[in-house]
Amino acid sequence: MEVAGLKLVLSHVTAGYPRWSLAADCVFLPGIHLVSGDVGSGKSTLALMMAGLRTPESGTVIREGISQVMLSFQFPEFHVTGLTVAEECRSWGLLSDEIIRSAGIDVTGETPALSLSRGELKRLHLACVLARNYDLLLLDEPFSSLDCAEKEKICRKISSRSSGITVIFTHEQSVFPHVDHIWEILEGRLVDCGNMPGAIEHWQHAPALVKKLTLAGRTPHELTPEGIREAACRTQE
Amino acid sequence: MQDPRIRLLSAFLLSLAAFVSIAGAVFVFIWWLVFTPRWHCIRHRTALCSAFVLFLIVAVVIYITGGDGLSYLVRMAVILLVGSWVFSESCTGDFISLGTWLLGNRTGFETGMIAGMAMQMATDISDDFYRIRIASRLKGHSWGIHSIVPAGRVIIDDAIRRADETAEVLAMRGYRNGGTICPHFHTSRCDIIAGCCAVVIFILAYVHVSEFFILYR
Repeated sequence: MEVAGLKLVLSHVTAGYPRWSLAADCVFLPGIHLVSGDVGSGKSTLALMMAGLRTPESGTVIREGISQVMLSFQFPEFHVTGLTVAEECRSWGLLSDEIIRSAGIDVTGETPALSLSRGELKRLHLACVLARNYDLLLLDEPFSSLDCAEKEKICRKISSRSSGITVIFTHEQSVFPHVDHIWEILEGRLVDCGNMPGAIEHWQHAPALVKKLTLAGRTPHELTPEGIREAACRTQE
Repeated sequence: MQDPRIRLLSAFLLSLAAFVSIAGAVFVFIWWLVFTPRWHCIRHRTALCSAFVLFLIVAVVIYITGGDGLSYLVRMAVILLVGSWVFSESCTGDFISLGTWLLGNRTGFETGMIAGMAMQMATDISDDFYRIRIASRLKGHSWGIHSIVPAGRVIIDDAIRRADETAEVLAMRGYRNGGTICPHFHTSRCDIIAGCCAVVIFILAYVHVSEFFILYR
């Protein structure tokens, strides 16, 4: 999984608004990272700083060996630069027929992109994002506006990413992809929970079911639905 | 300036004063320095710079064709500063209050509401422009003059769609025409002084000084 040379370093980074602040001092290596936190805790701000779209108030963000960065915003309409679905796919350098098929939405290339429902646009957008490889892929709430089946489909696609650094910012509690490392934002600070599966024991934002399984001594080795099922059905530790 | 009536009247008179002559523009610039937070009131600096570049191009064309391009540029730059000040000081509900106060609950309310929506649309378009620039950058596209037309198409399409949605929401809430509000304005002493100065500048710009004072016999 690891690609030598790729590293995202947040060195004494701080950001803040009046009555709100965020501090991070950490290193992200290749793999799939999960950053969880309450709504309004600063996940999107952190994603913007990692992508280089927002300057930290102090500290530095260093992207070592990273040349291709993609930040997927929570709201898919923020990415639309084409009038139609076909134009939008072309703006990503992709073929519309393939993307429409991959997204599983009932539209044509001539459908106006902004006439799609939020869910359809999210599926189209994620199909475009996940069709390409990036050294650093930042997904801000990738599961919002999606139903459970679609969330699982997206999780499978994210899990299949074989290179680069992938960071998922979410407060999702039900469906997760394969995750290598867990982080969480607590009291205005990005806290490193560690690598999976050990990270789960330190993860305060863990879903109730995961916490229950951990307390019962059946810590899931994976956060995927299969991993959770395996832990729930496990008879011996 | 807290009172939108004085603010908009001042902006209207100052814009006319600045447009009519270079002397008027200088007076208006001095007014802007004295009565506004100056550079702190300029919010959308990129949009302002773009508008200035547009006026600069027009000024160059005027100069080349034998006109006074410099005078045009100075006058339009001052009008831009006044416009930027009005935009930054505007609050939600200002136009609807002003319209209702001026023209009553039917025509005034509707005129004010439309003006308020137009101001909101200006803000939205500015945000959309920024958003599309970021999206293009993330997609690896270079941003330049060639991007204006494609971005403009999306922005206009989005603006029309939003206008449709607003109309639907108004219709769903049972809006037909007009409305009732009791506008309340807070007028400070500074507002009155600034407003009076704007009126004086307007008069000075349009009426020659010698018509007021008998300088020579």
